[in-house]
Amino acid sequence: MTSLRVALVCVIAISLQLTVFVDVRILGVAPEMLALVAILAGYYGGPQRGPAVAFAAGLLWDVYLPTHLGVSSIIFAVAAYAIGSVEAGLFRDSRAQLAAVVVASTMAIVVSYALANEILGERGLIDTRMLKVAVVSGIFNGVLSFAAAPLVKWAMAAPRGASSGAAGFPMARG
Amino acid sequence: MPPARRAGRSRYRLALLLLTAVTLLSLDFRGFGPIESAQSGVRDVIQPVTSLVDTVLSPIGNAWNAVFRYDSVEAENADLRRQLDELRGDSIQVEADRAAFVRLQQAVDIRFGGDIPTVAATVLRGEVGNFDTGVVTIDKGSSSGLKPDMAVVTGAGFVGRLSRVDRTTSTVELVSDPSLIVGVRMVSTGGVGLGHGVAGRPKQFVIDQGPGWPEGGDPTLLPRIGSAVVTATGSRYPAEIPIGTVADVSTPDGLAMVVTVDLSNDVTDLGFVSVMIDVAPDEVPLLPVVPSTLVPIEVDPAQNSPSTVGGSTP
Repeated sequence: MTSLRVALVCVIAISLQLTVFVDVRILGVAPEMLALVAILAGYYGGPQRGPAVAFAAGLLWDVYLPTHLGVSSIIFAVAAYAIGSVEAGLFRDSRAQLAAVVVASTMAIVVSYALANEILGERGLIDTRMLKVAVVSGIFNGVLSFAAAPLVKWAMAAPRGASSGAAGFPMARG
Repeated sequence: MPPARRAGRSRYRLALLLLTAVTLLSLDFRGFGPIESAQSGVRDVIQPVTSLVDTVLSPIGNAWNAVFRYDSVEAENADLRRQLDELRGDSIQVEADRAAFVRLQQAVDIRFGGDIPTVAATVLRGEVGNFDTGVVTIDKGSSSGLKPDMAVVTGAGFVGRLSRVDRTTSTVELVSDPSLIVGVRMVSTGGVGLGHGVAGRPKQFVIDQGPGWPEGGDPTLLPRIGSAVVTATGSRYPAEIPIGTVADVSTPDGLAMVVTVDLSNDVTDLGFVSVMIDVAPDEVPLLPVVPSTLVPIEVDPAQNSPSTVGGSTP
């Protein structure tokens, strides 16, 4: 059941990315919807379940990007693991803190994506525009996280009987 | 489960995921067929969903554009009116030139792109991510007879090539993408070369491989500013498709010639395109370069005279 819910969230995210956010851009920059799903999956799923969902989201995003299959999957999975591994004590269950985590993580993902693709032979990704994309998409994702968080939280909700996440904090925070 | 064991297990899972991703990456690098088919299948499955979402949510995008792009749309409108006025003035000359060109083609039996059947397509969307600025998606795919590498054009000229073909949609790699190399011919000199787009400048194209800088920089041997640039015979695309007009000619080192071209198509604002149903050759034929592709060498007396840089003027 959880897999179906996660698949539904991923399809919603890719559909919005391919339709609404082709037009709705700030300074020519779109939000990174699949990265947002990956970050929230790490946040709510911990280091055990988060990376798997993030990996799937990255794979789906790679299918639509002209770059090589697997790049986003690697970056998203590592990002989700890092977010999920942070000690529970560092997180206070506030929406503002979640938004801050999303902004910082999105910026890190965008920069990592550009770096990884440059290493793999793509050209023209690392320039001043990359910084603009990182900052604007980070803030965009931070704002969207208020709407997306409940959805991902619902999708990542633990089956009955499982009370805590892998890192020792409740599975559904925030 | 103890925390240490739990952490070890999650690290093990992450390592498995990374290993899977690296495997997919290496298979994708090698162009492994089933991987490409699987990707195409996923896009085909999701396409009806995105189409439905697009229909339902398109008012949001339209409203956003109306609010935040009003000024640019107005400026674009004014620019289009100016271009229309210019085109009206040029139309008579173009008509005469076209008639002469067709007569010449018939005389020398050269295949022209105009004879190739085309499939009209609507541009569904531009770039979807933040780094894929050189692609658009169109609403026709393999079910309409499209195949990868086919040329995509508009009435104004070359737009790009099909880089990815799914059942009902295709992705077009635009001529403005720096990684798309196109074999071109400069009409004013007949010189041929290879060109590509310029990162961050979607309306420009640079020819930097092929033509050499004439000794002494003789201006009569340089491509004329404002003259046409078209696809070359022997390139991966049908010959004589307009690319744009020469905007600048320079040399970085006194040896090579760099020709900057203003693209005839505004690839940032495409609505409809045509796909030329012509299978591209697997490899560019390694034939000797004929300086003038309009007139065969055996019927062009100018070719028998000592050769000039960039070829003869047709």
